[in-house]
Amino acid sequence: MTVFDRHMNALSQTHSQGVVMTQAYLEIRDLVKSYDGKQQAVRGISLDIRKGEFVSFLGPSGSGKTTTLMMVAGFEMPTSGSILLGGREIAPVPAHKRNIGMVFQNYALFPHMTALENVGFPLRMRKTPAAEIARRAAEALDMVGLAAFGGRHPREMSGGQQQRVALARALVFGPDVLLLDEPLGALDKNLREQMQVEIKRIHRELGITTIYVTHDQSEAMTMSDRIAVFSQGVVEQFAPPLDIYQRPTTRFVGSFIGDSNFLDVTRQNDGLVAQGIGALNIAAPSQAGKFHGLVRPEAIGLWTGGDEQGHCVLSFLIEGLVHYGDSVLLIGSAAGLNLRARLPSVQASHLHEGDTIRIAWRENDMHLIPVQ
Amino acid sequence: MRITLALALLVALFVLGPLLVVVPMSFSTANSFEFPPPGYWLGYYRSFFGDERWLTPVFNSIGIGLATMLLTMLLVIPASFAMVRQRFMGRSAINLLLMMPMIVPNIVMALGYYTYFSQLKIIHSPLGVVLAHTCLSVPVCYLIIAASLKGFDRNLERAAMNLGASPLRTFWEVTFPVLRPGFLVGGLFAFIHSFDEAVVAIFISGQAASTLPRKMFDSIRIEADPIISVVSTLLFAVVLLAVLSPLAWRAIVKARSQFRAA
Ligand SMILES: Nc1ncnc2c1ncn2[C@@H]1O[C@H](COP(=O)(O)OP(=O)(O)O)[C@@H](O)[C@H]1O
Ligand SMILES: [Mg+2]
Repeated sequence: MTVFDRHMNALSQTHSQGVVMTQAYLEIRDLVKSYDGKQQAVRGISLDIRKGEFVSFLGPSGSGKTTTLMMVAGFEMPTSGSILLGGREIAPVPAHKRNIGMVFQNYALFPHMTALENVGFPLRMRKTPAAEIARRAAEALDMVGLAAFGGRHPREMSGGQQQRVALARALVFGPDVLLLDEPLGALDKNLREQMQVEIKRIHRELGITTIYVTHDQSEAMTMSDRIAVFSQGVVEQFAPPLDIYQRPTTRFVGSFIGDSNFLDVTRQNDGLVAQGIGALNIAAPSQAGKFHGLVRPEAIGLWTGGDEQGHCVLSFLIEGLVHYGDSVLLIGSAAGLNLRARLPSVQASHLHEGDTIRIAWRENDMHLIPVQ
Repeated sequence: MRITLALALLVALFVLGPLLVVVPMSFSTANSFEFPPPGYWLGYYRSFFGDERWLTPVFNSIGIGLATMLLTMLLVIPASFAMVRQRFMGRSAINLLLMMPMIVPNIVMALGYYTYFSQLKIIHSPLGVVLAHTCLSVPVCYLIIAASLKGFDRNLERAAMNLGASPLRTFWEVTFPVLRPGFLVGGLFAFIHSFDEAVVAIFISGQAASTLPRKMFDSIRIEADPIISVVSTLLFAVVLLAVLSPLAWRAIVKARSQFRAA
């Protein structure tokens, strides 16, 4: 492929993306998986993933992320439900014919092959001519910055280097979808951040539909177009990162992502009443019943006086301070509630344990989640 | 600390003791078993290598050992895959069955083979010895290969299939090469086990299929020929070489990869 061809391809891709934008490319429908016939590891998951999208599966360990990925890759048969790729059902297609690239948490590089042989493996399986294998494998290694390491065996490389080889190997054959199962879990923090940037760069360059499994919320927040939050075999919410953070639809999502305060809010007559605080002057949602009122700690600030209209102002007893350098987390109680507030360090330098201060948040900053 | 060291030395001496007698004796000039030897020469080595009555059992032993190794591997490799990777009814019973030859005393096994193989008319034939030795080699070989299979990362197979390899290709390109060291060690132990084995061989090998240990037993009973110390020394050297070769191989591979990494 010449540079010109590539350019034209890129153009037609961006063009078609504009049209296809909302159309699902990878569709997961009512997917259920039970390993033992009794308990369900995945309990009815439905997701529509668009072409070129970067989607994260985020959730605690054991919530069914890997199981879902294994079914997409073809290593596990769904108990029920279906998976469609480009409109075609792929359940009957065996794993080795799916053309889906996967990166495993423990890299799964073939120990008896060099880096170059590892990367060339998928091309060899596709009966590519030897000269082309050599060229494309070298190109792929170059893409992950390991051009000089082709002759090394996996045991002669660091964890980060092995992960890059695994990435090159999963991409070299031009897969339709790229799956990554906690690919950076075994790396230290600096290397992890470096690899996050690298993976995003590659995603941008190739425009490949990607599913990225992680239990690290900041990783999911910074990398994804959309996040699917997993809990106990179901997807609690599937939305862009900012929506997940600002407008969680379940209490689990609100507490799993970011730090949070929850207040019990009930609807009385036409207004809303928060436990320990009283009537709220915010528009009541149409549903009746009870709500979790979510207030993020960083939405809470010091009250310096003025018009209290539209604010919740409370007196707050500081029971503990945690210094993060740039910010300080205050842990304490107000109006009989345990609350956490996060202040910029410069505003908190004079505060001590045992102090009572006035804190406040804007009533509009409280997000209401209906109690199920 | 010093006591444990002394103890270790004593144990080593106890284990190596017989060798300290047998190896010098093989170079002895005496015409009977005499220790310490009155003088040293290579005469008994010369007569060993020139004597068909000794060389035939050597070749018998090598042939029977190789056949035993092959047959054992053919049985144990599929069995290990089934036992390690599948869950099925009667799995633990089969596990016990596989270990049986190790638990039952060899002399009991030998008696059984003697009567049973007589009926089958394969007694005093290499085939009978190979079958019996295979049976005896299975437990140790199974332990080794099942252990290496348990340590095998199945994500390697998943990765291969993900990259487009059919199940069969996955086995030949990934599973087999990665497990090869375990297979080699398992095969080696099957060979050594057969090469070393005396009890069953004495019962069923007869003159025609006489193995080296059996010939040694006959020789010591009938003629007390000092050549036997030559055979013992050579036998020990062969086994030592066989056991050390995987270690040496690993050291070479490691040195090579360090050289390349540097
Ligand atoms: N091969 C398996 N056999 C039986 N149960 C399994 C298997 N793999 C996963 N599970 C179970 O399925 C559930 C979901 O696991 P998994 O998909 O690995 O979660 P996650 O990747 O989110 O940590 C867990 O309860 C786990 O114990
Ligand atoms: Mg997992």
